[in-house]
Amino acid sequence: MCTFLVKPPDKGSFPLDHYGECKAEMVEYMRCLKANNSDQAQCKHLSKRYFQCRMDKRLMLREDFEQLGFHQADQQPQKQSN
Amino acid sequence: MLSRLMCDRCRLQLLLAGRQHQFFQRFKSDNSARFGQNLGPGGPWQSRGKPAVDAGATATMYMSAAAVFMLGLSYASVPLYRKFCQMTGTASNPLLARVDNIERVREMRPVADCPLVVNFIADTHSQLAWNFRPQQPRVQLVPGETVLVFYTARNPTDVPVTGIATYTVNPYQASQYFNKIQCFCFEEQRLNPGEEVDMPVFFYIDPEFINDPRLRDVRQITLSYCFFEAKEGLSLSLPGLTASPAAT
Repeated sequence: MCTFLVKPPDKGSFPLDHYGECKAEMVEYMRCLKANNSDQAQCKHLSKRYFQCRMDKRLMLREDFEQLGFHQADQQPQKQSN
Repeated sequence: MLSRLMCDRCRLQLLLAGRQHQFFQRFKSDNSARFGQNLGPGGPWQSRGKPAVDAGATATMYMSAAAVFMLGLSYASVPLYRKFCQMTGTASNPLLARVDNIERVREMRPVADCPLVVNFIADTHSQLAWNFRPQQPRVQLVPGETVLVFYTARNPTDVPVTGIATYTVNPYQASQYFNKIQCFCFEEQRLNPGEEVDMPVFFYIDPEFINDPRLRDVRQITLSYCFFEAKEGLSLSLPGLTASPAAT
């Protein structure tokens, strides 16, 4: 428990959202995950909105979304065929 | 007695021969004293007065210099190797690719044929009174895509409490491919009395995961966060450098 080798995060720590300014986006994202059986690929657009909220509320440094792994080709949620 | 039978002339010659002999004898002994006894293995050409251990001293100096050189080379090998890896290394070296992680995230693409499930666990140290839990029990993903998940922490006490988190990834071999872009670990997080906050974790699994033979059959990964109360004197391991001692 709580052992092994660990690595620091690339961009450090998220500032805490003490006032729940982006809680709505978070709740929407979690609802999407629950609805899609925790398949996060279906909810990437909502996670992007969460980050947008954080940047707007200055809870996160503004960055190019390409650098956060949101690519133009993945904008729309797609049904995955298994 | 013999000299009595000799004529005077012969006696004189004998006397002279004897004296010559004595003379040359002395001269010869002087030579050996001057040159003969100090002759070294190099013969008459070896300089006088220097002992034969010169060759040994030179060899010792060369060996010492070689030893010092090898020692210096072993110290220099660490930065030299790092430089070499930077110049020639590719993304297939996730342990040393920290500098290029931003480019890595931009350029990597999801590996669609390797579905994984990441399970989430939340723990608190016994002395931390927070309610700490993951918002989702698990998430389905593939290597090469960034994933956002949430934990929630609540301080039910009536005093502000500061916590600090660390994490574990199981199986251990998967931990080197588990890269966090941003999270809430290793920095103190303060919760006011009665406060509840969402703590996001933004991570990805390196696409090189699929090339690791040890992880060929691994489809479930567990991310476990553990919150400690941040007090003076609490020391956590240096991230990325050492493994923390077992906290049981």
